[in-house]
Formats: sequence, C-alpha cells, structure tokens
Amino acid sequence: MLAAPWVCRSCARSLRHASIFQFVRRASTETPVRLPPALLERARRLTAEHDQLTSTLEKDFDAKKAKRAGEISRIADALRQFEKAKAALSELHGLLESDDAEMRELARDDLEATNAQLVESSHNLSAALTPKHPFADMPCLLEIRPGPGGTEGRFFADTLFHMYKAYCSNKGYRTRVVQYEASDSDGQTGSEGEIALQEAVLEVQEPGAYAIFRGEAGMHRVQRVPATEAKGRTHTSAVAVWVLPSFPENGTSESEADWENPESDFYIDPTEVRSETMRARGAGGQHVNKTESAIRLTHIPTGTTVSMQDSRSQQRNREYAWRLLRSRIAQQRREAREEMARQMRSSVLANSQITRGDKIRTYQYQQDRCTDHRSGLDAHNLPDVLRGGETLGKIMDSVQTWLINKDIEALISEEEASAAVASREKGK
Amino acid sequence: MPRLRPSLFWRARREISPMAAKLLPACRDLESAANELRWIREYVRDTKSPIPDELRVWQLAEKRGRGIPLQYVLGTQPFGDIEIKCRPGVLIPRPETEAYTLHLASLLSQSSPPPTSLSILDLCTGTGCIPLLLLHSLLIPLRAPTPIFLHGVDISPAAIRLARANLTHNTPALNRFPHASSSSCPYNLTFSQFDIFSPSLITHLQHFLNPQIHTPTPTGTGTGTQDQNTEPPTKIPDLLVSNPPYISPRDFNSATARAVRNHEPRLALVPQQQEGLSPIHRYRHDRYNCRPEDVFYARILEIASVLKPKRVLVEVGGWEQALRVVRLVLENSTAATSRNNDGGHKSQEEYNLVEVWRDEPSAGDKGERVEVAGREVVVQGEGRGRAVYLSRV
Ligand SMILES: C[S@@+](CC[C@H](N)C(=O)[O-])C[C@H]1O[C@@H](n2cnc3c(N)ncnc32)[C@H](O)[C@@H]1O
Repeated sequence: MLAAPWVCRSCARSLRHASIFQFVRRASTETPVRLPPALLERARRLTAEHDQLTSTLEKDFDAKKAKRAGEISRIADALRQFEKAKAALSELHGLLESDDAEMRELARDDLEATNAQLVESSHNLSAALTPKHPFADMPCLLEIRPGPGGTEGRFFADTLFHMYKAYCSNKGYRTRVVQYEASDSDGQTGSEGEIALQEAVLEVQEPGAYAIFRGEAGMHRVQRVPATEAKGRTHTSAVAVWVLPSFPENGTSESEADWENPESDFYIDPTEVRSETMRARGAGGQHVNKTESAIRLTHIPTGTTVSMQDSRSQQRNREYAWRLLRSRIAQQRREAREEMARQMRSSVLANSQITRGDKIRTYQYQQDRCTDHRSGLDAHNLPDVLRGGETLGKIMDSVQTWLINKDIEALISEEEASAAVASREKGK
Repeated sequence: MPRLRPSLFWRARREISPMAAKLLPACRDLESAANELRWIREYVRDTKSPIPDELRVWQLAEKRGRGIPLQYVLGTQPFGDIEIKCRPGVLIPRPETEAYTLHLASLLSQSSPPPTSLSILDLCTGTGCIPLLLLHSLLIPLRAPTPIFLHGVDISPAAIRLARANLTHNTPALNRFPHASSSSCPYNLTFSQFDIFSPSLITHLQHFLNPQIHTPTPTGTGTGTQDQNTEPPTKIPDLLVSNPPYISPRDFNSATARAVRNHEPRLALVPQQQEGLSPIHRYRHDRYNCRPEDVFYARILEIASVLKPKRVLVEVGGWEQALRVVRLVLENSTAATSRNNDGGHKSQEEYNLVEVWRDEPSAGDKGERVEVAGREVVVQGEGRGRAVYLSRV
C-alpha cells in the first residue's frame, strides 16, 4: 500500500517535515542508510525476543507468549527486510568499484531500485515499531452529526452517512445502523433526496474497523450550491464525524468461562498476583495444628485485594479467591474502558468545534474535488467519493499513511529524547 | 499462653453464639471461633446421626473447646483437592506439607521429557497424605497415561492402618480420572510398616522398585489398583520424599502448640530419644554424627545414597535446620566423592541441584541465595524455611 505511486506523490508534501524522511533522503544519495540508532536498537531487541519466543513456543504452547510473539512478528519481518536491503545495497556499492565496466553498469542500473527498497523497508520498519493503537483490532462506531447552521449541513450529514455505508458494503464490511434520525424540520429533502439528518450512528462490525476508520474523525466541510439557493451562491457547511471503538456488549462474548484467554476481561496474568496464606506465627509446620486455610490474593498492578477463609480447604479458598479477583478485575476493566470511551468522545467534541481551521477534509462540488487537508491528497471524481468508491479508499489510505508518519515522528523524537537522557546519564 | 480476657467471651456469646464462646479457649480469637463453629455446623449438616443436630454441634464444640484438634473432632483434614481422614495417634497433615506436595507434583508433571512412568517413595508416611495428594495431582496433568507407583512406610501400625483407610477413602476420587481406571495407566499405591532405621529397609524398597528381580510373581505388594501385565517400576525412584519427626525434645516442650503437645503422637514429632532406644537402635543412631533432631535426615540421605533417587525432598522445622540438612548433604557427597575417587563415580553421588524451599515454594525463585559449605544454594519461595530439595536431573 505504501508503495503505491499516488500515495508517494501526494504525501510528499506532508512528509517533508518528518524527520524520518531526512534520514531516508540521505539514504538514497551516497551516505549509508541509517535509522535512528535507538530505533534500530529497539527493533533488534524485539526481534531477539520474537525469535526466543517462537523457539520456546515450539516446545510448549502458551497462549500469552503466542500473543506476544504475534504482536512483534511484524517488527521481526520488517527488520529482516531492512537488513536484506541494506546488505544488497552495500554489495552494489562494492560492485560499483569493480574494474569491469559492464559490471559497474549493471550495478548502477540496480542502484535506484535497491535504494528505493531500502527507503521503503526502513519506513516499514519504523511503521512496525510504532505502537499499535489499543483499539486497533476492534469494530467501530461512526457517529455523524451536522454542524450548527442550516439544513445544508444536515443534508450533507446524510450524504456522508450513505457514503460510509456504501463504502462498507463495497469493501464487504458488515454494518449495522444503530441510529438514524431526521431532524424534525419540515420534511424537505435535498437535491439528491437526502434527508435532514440529526444524528446517525453506524456500527462497522469488521474487527479492525477502528484502525481503518480512525482517520475519518473530525470536521468534514462541504462547499456547494444548495438546491434552495436562488442566487447560485456557494455555501460552506460542516459535518462532524466521531469514530469510537465498539465494545462487545456485556455478557455476550465476555464471560468468566473465558478466563484463560488473554483477550478476555477476566484474564489475569498469574505472575502479577501475590498470594499469601495467613499462617500461624512462630515455627509452623509440625509445631502447630490449627486449620490455617485463609488466603489473600493481591493483584499487584491495580492493588486489588481479596481474601477468603470460608472453607477449611485452602485449595477451595484459593479457587474462590481467584474467581472473585477475576470478576473484580473484569469489572474494573470494563469501567475503565467505558470511561476511556467517554473521554475520547468529549475530546473529539472539544477539538473539532466547527471552525474552518480544524476541518480535515473539504468536498468541493463545483470543482468536482475532494481534498484531505492532512495528507494533502487532492482527488477528483467527487461522485465516486460520495458513492463510497475506490477514490474514497485512496483518500482514506493517504490519511493512514499520514497517521503512521505522525506516529513514527512521535516515536523517533521519543527514542531520541530517551537516548539523549541515557547518554547524559552515562556521561556523569 | 496468656489468659483470654473475659470481654472476649462476652463478645463471642453476643456477636456469634454461646457455642462460639465454648470454642474460644481453643481458637483464641473471634474470627477463628466463628469459622470453626461454621465448619462444625456444616459437618453436622452433612453427616447423618440419630442424635439431634444442635446436640451434636454442642458435643463437638465442647470437645474442640477442651483443646482437641478440630481435625480429630471432625475426623478429616482437606489436603489439596482431597480429603484425608484423621485419627488420634496419627499426625494431622499440615498446610505447609500441602503446599510443597502440590509444588512437587507440578515439577514432576512438567519435567521434560514427560515421564513414561513414575515411582515415588514416602518415608514416615503417617496418614499417607503426601503420596495420595501426589497421585491425585499427577493424574490430572499427565497427558499420556503414565503408570505411577507409590510406596509409603511408617513405623506406626496405627499410621499404616489409617494410610490404607485413606487410600480406600480416596479411591473414588482417584478413579474419576479417565485414564486412572484404564489398564494402560495403572497406579499402584501401597503402604508397609517399617522402621526406616532397619537395615532390611533398603532391600524392602529395592524389592518394591523392582519386584520381578526378587519374586517371580509381582503380586501381593499391597492394596490399590493393580495390573499384573504392566511394566514394573523402574529401579531408580523418581522421588524420595519424607516428612520425618524433626522437633528437638526441648522445642517440643517450649515451641509447640498445646494442641500438638497434648493430642498428637510424640513419635511423629520428636526423633526417639536415645534413652528410649534398644541398644541396637542406640548404636545405629550414634553412627550419625549429628544433632538428635536431625538423625532422620542422616538416615534418609544414607538411603538416598544407595537408591539414588532422581529427586529428594525432606521437610524441615525451620531455616536453621534447613541449613544443617544442606550441610549434611554436601558433606555426605564430599565424603562419597573421596571414597569414590579412584572409581570415578563422583557425579553419581552428587546432586546437581540443592535448594531450600520456604513455606510457599510456588512463589518461585526470588533471587535469594545462601552459601553453605562453600556452595551457593538457591532459596525458593516465601515464608519460613520448610524443606530441602535435591535433584540429580
Ligand atoms: C511428622 S509425621 C509425618 C506424617 C505425614 N508424612 C505427614 O506429612 O503428615 C512423622 C511420621 O514418622 C513416623 N515415624 C517415626 N519414627 C519412624 C521410624 N523410625 N521409621 C518410620 N517411620 C517413623 C511416625 O509414625 C509419623 O507418622
């Protein structure tokens, strides 16, 4: 996807400022390619961890280890690709020194492609290293609301709703209309038969939909001549789109029976639990014979504690205590998630007040253009965009690239900052 | 033991029940009085008797209040996932024993390569709780049906009777496991009455480990599920475990709870004093150059040096005793090494792993180390020093 030429062309503008591309730029000329050493170091460390995990997993399977290995496998793959490209390039450089003119010629021919490969693989590696969004694998909710102002915005809100719905059906994503509400205006419709939308919520049930759509959140601006406009003036209105993770409803896929699955709310890593038995003071063992069956478990990361002393059997008490701890933690997790979703909602709300500066995309009817202001992609064929066609897909992809580059930038500055701190510490 | 304040009795009566006040002298605090009263009530509810329930509760609480251990009053003690019958005259299984027994079972079942058969010896078996819980805990995780042979010995006829009763008591629970009853995975748990200091013990144990060599028909080794067609246990035991008497006469008087001192058999707690022994026994005990409370360890290590079990675990009465036992182990093996200097059997005698386990060994290695006789010894888990673990694997 990243290699698609239209992405490269259109993203060049937004990428110019990204520090990663300064490295890459140097890479494609004479100097040897390098990622920030801290980043490369991190990739090597994670790759070593990955290899170690896969070899232990061959011997005996462990769900938690398998999950971790899966998470970091793309880093290991990306590092391998990167190393390969680097080796290829240095081999080519060797050949350029060759006495054989034909050999040099061949090497020169390959140079550009190999350089490009290196650029791409270093970019992929950086992308793989950026932490995955915690909700990336989840289905999502698209919430669409018109900005303040006339019916024009409401009509366009309906247009966007249909655009996303059509896009999903073109892509084969299952959707569910959670809410679709017309404003109680006078029942008039737009030139394309749109209703005046008050609010719509569309659930995209595809796992990973959150990652696909998260770039759509923000203000979408429309510029067109409304059907009701007698003087033919272009109006500008806006529609807000929220993208929220969609959590499975309580009690459906999440249940106590699921506790061995690391994905479940009920899963607790046993190494994060301190178990204490309440034993007699003194020497213990043969010296005392009281029933000492009480047990206390502490979940270290959250400090949650449960104690159990109902049964004479310590094993029984331990089982009950674990069950209780699991359901307490599951409850806490659920509440934390709801809180997080709530905060996300209000933060999107706050920073996407309907001001011109905050718009993420403009749909310009007169010029048949759709411009994304973040990626800088300027697409023609607006009807195809609004039909949820491939042009919309291209715009969304360009935003993905932009998001990834932003993450890479953040990652690199974070790594460089911590490397600087570390070297200062060492210097002392 | 300090006298209980009268207000405590008053509170027990008011906040729990008059019956709880009855339990207080034994329980010492309100919380455990409440717990024990609840357990007594549960017991009465779950067992049938012509005597009215409240009267039975009263009788049992009265007995318990006089200081008799609850386990003797109710006749049982939960031990891991099983229930062990308890009778006066035989030591009550302890929670620390339960903790390391479960940990041992998980070590055995996780050992790689997975064992194809297991043989386990328990010296000083008492109620038989250790081999029973090992067996129960091993039958669950072993994926492939694995024959398990276990043998417990004890000097006390009452203990051996109770151990056999406990096997019968738990046979339904053991046979619940699908492969336990299949003929490809027999288990065989037997008990016999033996003094571990008896010179014929080793021959007896070797016979258990390899019955075919000594008797053409391997029948009559004891009770338990048997299958005559299966392979005999291997010659080398996988585990030698023991919770021997380990309390010194002095500690018996000063450091044991009154319920222990007054109601449990001294034979199970204190290694027999020299004066009480016949001349031949005294001669044997004198052979061991150690404290009287450690003499069982010296003997167990001697047995281990002949049978060469893959793993040895002995319970100890605290940190200092643990270190003394480790020292015995290391000195024994150096003695053995010098003896075998010419033969080059050095590695045969030495344990490549010597560990001290605390009360909760499953808490794992926290990086704690202790140096004994110039060797660094790993300390596992949390709590008081509770066992010494040796391994050749
Ligand atoms: C501390 S108890 C342990 C019982 C049981 N293994 C447990 O953990 O609950 C020690 C046992 O050793 C037995 N015993 C004492 N002297 C013995 C000897 N010389 N030979 C064999 N067993 C002996 C006692 O009868 C007692 O049952």
